[in-house]
Amino acid sequence: MASKGKEAAAVASKKDAATPSNPRGIPYAPFVDKVEDYVTSRADVEPTLRSFQEMIAKYQFMEQNLQKRVAGLKDKLPDIQKTLDTVRFLKLRTDESDPIETTFELNPTLYAKAEIPPTDEVYLWLGANVMLAYPIDEAETMLDSKHQAAKQSLSNCEEDLDFLREQITTMEVAVARVYNWDVVQKRKEKDEEEKSKGKGKGKEQDTPGG
Amino acid sequence: MMSMNRRMLSKEDEEAVGDEIEVRREDQDKINKFSRLHSHETLIEEELKVKNKEKEELDDITTELELADEDDIVPYKVGDAFFHIPLSQAQEMLGVSTAKIEGEIEELEDKLGSIREEMTQLKVELYARFGRTINLEV
Repeated sequence: MASKGKEAAAVASKKDAATPSNPRGIPYAPFVDKVEDYVTSRADVEPTLRSFQEMIAKYQFMEQNLQKRVAGLKDKLPDIQKTLDTVRFLKLRTDESDPIETTFELNPTLYAKAEIPPTDEVYLWLGANVMLAYPIDEAETMLDSKHQAAKQSLSNCEEDLDFLREQITTMEVAVARVYNWDVVQKRKEKDEEEKSKGKGKGKEQDTPGG
Repeated sequence: MMSMNRRMLSKEDEEAVGDEIEVRREDQDKINKFSRLHSHETLIEEELKVKNKEKEELDDITTELELADEDDIVPYKVGDAFFHIPLSQAQEMLGVSTAKIEGEIEELEDKLGSIREEMTQLKVELYARFGRTINLEV
């Protein structure tokens, strides 16, 4: 019984290895074309269902991680955009001679006035308590490339999430089909049992799909 | 998961349907695609709402600034800070922002249109195959 279950799982994993994965190496879910390829007797049903559920759980685990990454990126992107906007604005002013008056946020709900002289140098916060002075052109290039990279990474994550959802749907359909197969099988067994006991009555209903 | 939202069939339904309709690979692909398109549709609709609101605000400010004095200095938000700039420059920057957001809205609406078209086509195909045993409505 258990060995048959393992066989079924082995078939599943073999199919898994044969099917390609998506660009980020997430494997495709096996498609159950015929339920009989996976379960041959009712004893196989439980281990097969268990192995399918396990795969669903794995996909869901990846899904959760990606959702966190997407949330992080969606947080980061507007910040980069804001910094980039400011750098580009300051760049427009490098030829001026007068300082520009600004109202800037000192702290949430607290604004202060500052005069900013034309500048060709800005300081970028790199993280890990490090701030670095950049020529304004270089700062713009760097921020722009960071913005592009974050956007690309976000679109990859979203693509992966779509992919994962599809694999989960495929597996859920597979689970439903194995389950239905078991129900039909159970009805058949019951019918046969009753017939062999000689209690089968004429008005007994046909099993749909059986 | 709305595409998977199959309701339970009553005994009569089951008899009316007869044998279970087999789910082929291509059917599964269509169901998956429909589900994916549906979630994209929802996301884009939300994005459009936000952008349209932004555009409305930009339009309001544009109208507001038309009433301002030519020599006025206006605090214009760039990033997290307000830069005090002459009216003409503010109007110019406002124009650039408005044009940018209009472009983005147009792009999203195009995307939404083609998604809906594809969904309608998939609905026709899936209902033709599965009839009452599948439910693709929200």
